[in-house]
Amino acid sequence: MIVADKKPIEEIIETVKPYDRILVLGCNECVTVCEAGGKKEVEVLASALRMHFIQQGSKKNFDERTLERQCDHEYLEEIRDIMDNYDAVLSLACGVGVQFMAEKYHTTPLIPGVNTCFLGATEKRGLWTERCQACGSCVLAHTAGICPISRCAKRVMNGPCGGSTGGKCEINKDVDCAWQLIIDRLRDLDRMDEYEIVTPIKDWSTERAGGPRTVAREDVQV
Amino acid sequence: MQFRRRFEAGEFTCLVQIDPPKGTDVSTMVDGAMGVKGIADAFIVPEMANAVMRMSSLGASVVLRNNGVDAVMQVSCRDRNRLALQGDLLAAAACGINAMMVVTGEDPSFGDHHTAKAVYDVDLGTLLKGISSMEKGRDMAGVELSGAPDFLKGATLNTCLRGADREVELDRMKEMVDAGVKFFITQPLFEFSMTQPFFKTADNYGAKIIPTVLLLKSLGMARYMARNVNYVNMPDAIVHRVLKASDKVRECTRMARETIEAVKKEGFAGVNVSTLGWEHKLPEVLGVMDGLKG
Ligand code: SF4
Ligand code: SF4
Repeated sequence: MIVADKKPIEEIIETVKPYDRILVLGCNECVTVCEAGGKKEVEVLASALRMHFIQQGSKKNFDERTLERQCDHEYLEEIRDIMDNYDAVLSLACGVGVQFMAEKYHTTPLIPGVNTCFLGATEKRGLWTERCQACGSCVLAHTAGICPISRCAKRVMNGPCGGSTGGKCEINKDVDCAWQLIIDRLRDLDRMDEYEIVTPIKDWSTERAGGPRTVAREDVQV
Repeated sequence: MQFRRRFEAGEFTCLVQIDPPKGTDVSTMVDGAMGVKGIADAFIVPEMANAVMRMSSLGASVVLRNNGVDAVMQVSCRDRNRLALQGDLLAAAACGINAMMVVTGEDPSFGDHHTAKAVYDVDLGTLLKGISSMEKGRDMAGVELSGAPDFLKGATLNTCLRGADREVELDRMKEMVDAGVKFFITQPLFEFSMTQPFFKTADNYGAKIIPTVLLLKSLGMARYMARNVNYVNMPDAIVHRVLKASDKVRECTRMARETIEAVKKEGFAGVNVSTLGWEHKLPEVLGVMDGLKG
């Protein structure tokens, strides 16, 4: 899933300042799972903002709404009839949702309420970690199912960089060395001979090298 | 050296664009430069133009200087992060390079290493700000330098734009001047009807424009540019002249010489001559410059 983190409230206060009628808009998908932009977070943020501006003596209206998804035209249509009531939307969706909203409601200012961080998973409640950087050409088959691009600080593709100590990465002793994990798992899978195969120079054109990417599937297009 | 001194003295300057080799053999580049030594004030050394891998601009600039000619180095945001950019600039300054250009760089997908990852750690504005800071003795992280560089700074400019695009380019130009850019090298120009607004902006802001004069090599090249290169305005008359000429190469050389003359008459700060590998033609193309030296 896409993992997001809450933006500092001070930053949000600054960005909503120019507007009086604001819709705080959550999303029921990834940002709900990572507890940054779901219904609950919309409630908490909207009340914090109301409180702040009441204390400041300024009259602002913060309404709450949470859509099934903000990265989907269909769900964004659900709020078309109420959009005229707002000067701005504070969206707690990931960057994709915020942009989709901005495209759909061209004349309404959009403010992101979260920082979109990475593609990752819930390690345990309150801890999310990165697992993929959407490189567009997955190598997991050859790296024991552990991604060297998202999990190795230097994104090295052929074994550890030489800075790995006691299974930890040289950039931070709390971070596992991805290549240690890969080697350990290859060993457990009895596939260490694969480790000897030199991975050819990486094709980054499927990542961001060619600019924004598109997946076009004629077989499913209507 | 020569280019910076003459430019800052307000004299008409002659630059020549010369590509570094794809390999270690610098003889073609050096021979090409030697052929017009004393006529060209400096050689602009592109940093892997069109994302084609070649010797770095820094390295080739130092080679040229070691051969007694002046070089304008380019630094590109595409291939280097802020550490590498600054490191190269310090090296350049220590090697005596005193003029440079900042370029964004074409995407690797245009070049011969199309699966490479681009860097773009900093954009042109941030880079220029960083260079200004370095010139005041502090790097981009604010750490003090022992010895500060000092460059005459340039950038590229596209004058072949209309409407809103032109406004954007004019704005970009102003921002660059604010960030310390003193000269702008244009795309190849064959006539000057569209340069006026840029000329005016440069004048107002205290920067100068140096048009690029490109030596055409064939009718095919002229036609290709007219049809496919949207940042170049190729007048029909030029294509027609090449078409009509019995000796096309001679006609192209004559046209390049005439354009250089026109650049001077139009009051530009200098000219940048590009022969795209035909450096052996430089003496003939630049013959017209002889009379310009005082
Ligand atoms: S190899 Fe690429 S696609 Fe596969 S997990 Fe890593 S970043 Fe994601
Ligand atoms: S220590 Fe391991 S994870 Fe860290 S950079 Fe080196 S190889 Fe990558």
